[in-house]
Amino acid sequence: MFKEFKSIFNLNWIYIFILLIIFWIGEINLYSAAGGSLDPWASNQLIRFLFFLPLFFLVIMLEPKFIFNFAEIFLILVLIGLITTLIFGYTGMGATRWIRIAGFNLQVSEFTKIALVIFMAKYFHKLNAEKTIGLFKSILPLIVSVIFFVLVAIQPDLGTAVIILALGLVVIFYAGIKLIYPLISIGIILSISPILWTFLKPYQQNRIQIFLNPDLDPLGRGYHIIQSKIAIGSGGLKGNGFLEGSQSSLDFLPEKETDFVFAIFSEQFGFTGSILLISLFFIMFLIPVLKTFKLTQAFNKIILFVLSFKIFFEFLINISMTIGILPVVGVALPFMSYGGSSLLSNLIICALLLNFMSINEKKRMFS
Amino acid sequence: MEKNKTSEDSIKILNRRSFIIIIVGAILSFIVSLRLFSLQVINFNFYKKKSVENKLSIKLTPPLRGDIYDSKKNLIAGSSSLYEFAVFKNLSKDHFQEIKKLDSLINLNLNFEEISKRLKKYNEYSGFSLSRASWEQIVEFEKNKFLFNSIKIIESKKRYYPYQNFSQIIGYMGQPTQSSELYSKGVFHLEKSYEKHLKGTPGKIFSEVNAKGKTIREISIEKSIKGNDLDLTLDLSLQNYAQSQLPRNKKGSIVVISVSDGSILSMNSNPTFDAQIFEDRENNKIQDLLNDDQKPLFNRAFSGFYPPGSVFKPISALVGLQRNLIDPQKEVFCKGHSSLGDRNYYCWKKKGHGKVNLKKAIKESCDVYFYELAKKTNIDDIASLSSNLGLNKEYDIGLSNIGKGLVPSKKWKKAFLEESWYQGETLITCIGQGYNQTSPLQLATLYSAILNGGKYPIPKLDKNTPTKFTGKLLNNEHQKIIVNSLNAVVQEPRGTAHKLSISNPEFVKIGGKTGTSQVVRIKESEREDDQYKSKEIEERFKDHSVFVGYAPYDKPKYIASVIIENGGSGSAVAAPIAHKILDFAFKNNV
Repeated sequence: MFKEFKSIFNLNWIYIFILLIIFWIGEINLYSAAGGSLDPWASNQLIRFLFFLPLFFLVIMLEPKFIFNFAEIFLILVLIGLITTLIFGYTGMGATRWIRIAGFNLQVSEFTKIALVIFMAKYFHKLNAEKTIGLFKSILPLIVSVIFFVLVAIQPDLGTAVIILALGLVVIFYAGIKLIYPLISIGIILSISPILWTFLKPYQQNRIQIFLNPDLDPLGRGYHIIQSKIAIGSGGLKGNGFLEGSQSSLDFLPEKETDFVFAIFSEQFGFTGSILLISLFFIMFLIPVLKTFKLTQAFNKIILFVLSFKIFFEFLINISMTIGILPVVGVALPFMSYGGSSLLSNLIICALLLNFMSINEKKRMFS
Repeated sequence: MEKNKTSEDSIKILNRRSFIIIIVGAILSFIVSLRLFSLQVINFNFYKKKSVENKLSIKLTPPLRGDIYDSKKNLIAGSSSLYEFAVFKNLSKDHFQEIKKLDSLINLNLNFEEISKRLKKYNEYSGFSLSRASWEQIVEFEKNKFLFNSIKIIESKKRYYPYQNFSQIIGYMGQPTQSSELYSKGVFHLEKSYEKHLKGTPGKIFSEVNAKGKTIREISIEKSIKGNDLDLTLDLSLQNYAQSQLPRNKKGSIVVISVSDGSILSMNSNPTFDAQIFEDRENNKIQDLLNDDQKPLFNRAFSGFYPPGSVFKPISALVGLQRNLIDPQKEVFCKGHSSLGDRNYYCWKKKGHGKVNLKKAIKESCDVYFYELAKKTNIDDIASLSSNLGLNKEYDIGLSNIGKGLVPSKKWKKAFLEESWYQGETLITCIGQGYNQTSPLQLATLYSAILNGGKYPIPKLDKNTPTKFTGKLLNNEHQKIIVNSLNAVVQEPRGTAHKLSISNPEFVKIGGKTGTSQVVRIKESEREDDQYKSKEIEERFKDHSVFVGYAPYDKPKYIASVIIENGGSGSAVAAPIAHKILDFAFKNNV
């Protein structure tokens, strides 16, 4: 089940270093969000991080074979978790997203992303022999993705659901589906989107309308995005300086510790800081991806590529929300938004990435 | 082998797909960076301004309003402390319950719906004023203070009017009507017209606020600047004395002005009101006042217009002299009436005055003398001299509803009644009846013009405005003849007001002219009816009693113009009042 202990010395320390820098920036940001105080967010987030570290190393030490073998089991576990959430879940802010396990509120949908990618990686690995993947072979993973999308969307948590579906599609695309199918799908989606619109809940329609024009409701739903843009814009080229963000310290920015942490960061550190942060996340994305080119096993490649892409993708979605180029759908900024489930799932992903980056493919691993 | 081949091909596909996804990711990152560049670099100034606007709050602090003084620096309008119940939303979640509790504890008659509506938009850290608090209410509140977390008593300023006899000149303040106005402003009379002068400059407190409007720190403070004071020409003691001389149950008005500079020394109207009730928001009293059919808000001194009656006669006489229509020595025979065409025009003295020259005509107020003069007179000459001597004018002295009155002319009649002028109308105009409409203030000014020889000082209320003269010089001889005759009215036997010098010989010696003005409702035809005098005359149809006098007669300093509505004859009612007031003014050297 576990690798030999000495394999820990083969880890990609650059990746760990970048991860720590990003987490540290997140801590500083939460500290400034609280007006220069560790309490209530920065300290809690640090405690969680330390608490999750053993699990982090446990995942690093897992045999890839073990993960491969248990792929379906993981998926079944999150399926049970999601159904449990829907039935017994803890409701907050108009949505049922959490279940209580051993005193923790766990957001199963965060872990769904990982399990789904692992499951699909195994599925496509088995189809490895085929040159390109036809439509028929893609249908099962597509159906599985849609099932999980629906289970999360009805919580309701559209942001996470969309990410889950997107990851499923990215795996299918990455695994080599004929290009014609994604193109046809996009065409179909565009043509039926007016019908999909009617399936959205009024508050979701409202969010999209206000996204398109925040001034429709400047003191209500549009308030978030207007204040977020003011915070980011007023940061300027160099930023207002550490702890000098008035939008944040004077509470003009709502949900500043979760969905809008980037606005706090950007108000203090400006365009320069923002570009630096984007670069860090991009490098963090590329390190595992570069490793994939040296690998030949589809399972390893898919896990490394898609999970690494997941973190970067969520990062882009989140800051696009805060700068008003995507509607506010509630996607956390990895390692920077305050929240346990998101931190834990992203740490697990990083652990998996570190694990798979240290793989030696000399021997045939999965059969 | 075959299987390995396909496997290698599929790995190549994976690598190709990674490139596509990496490139898409890079493009998305680039779009995000461009957007950030647009927000933070290109539109930086716009968002910086928004950010500053967000956090900067400018709170205005009301300035003290300027005080108003009489000519001897007695305070007649000032500011005093005022206490209000105010609710602070941030202090308790149950603030609305507490408002209801307060209302049931102290009967404030609050309009909850209105309060709830306005409170919703109100900054939770600023006190929202619910109601004025009287001493009894404050005591009651303090006893039960433990019940209220969000309600406090706050102090502010209100206008204070120590003497209600000035209300009809000073006016009063009103609540702000637009949301841009922060505090009450003058809405009537001097409070209104001198608003800019009195209001002062509000102070500003610049502070940094958070999203809920709570002040985080004060950045800077600009102190408020008190408004300018206003010194009036009015005299407190004379104003109070004159008011006391107006018969309580009659409507009427008294105006006293200074001959030398046109200063209005007192200006009274009865009934009057107390401006303080507006400041104290005594809504019942305000309602009563507005509904009062005696119209106490109406200042008769400058808004009340009456036919002047015989006090108008000096103008007719002056026109006669100027146009050489009369010889002051030449006598006219008054047999009680005069006729023009087939109509008779009656003298007030039915049996007639006998032989009458100009002086006697004024002294004894003979109507027939003026009818005969009028037959030769052009009405437009009367109109033009009237205007030169201060009638038919609005004086711009800061009073609301000040009127112009009416001096009839051919042109006026054509324009407004679309009829041509009849000579018969000149006859009644010359004795101050007919279309003539003058206010007590205008009559005082008319006599000032006569006493000043034609060039007279424009009436003024603001002590600090320079005296300005207007009008045309009269022929010195003519002016002397008229003033002599006016002196004779009081000083010589058989003068219509000679009684004054007999009954109060110790009073200052005055000159003047009595007038008995016909109430408009009685038509000329009825007046001609012999039955008229014997008719039961309803109170409201009784003549107005008018007197305009000056003192001392040999060196005039003060002019008093008195009208008592439906008071009867001028000599009996208005003249004694004027005499007392002139004596008071003279003896107290106001």
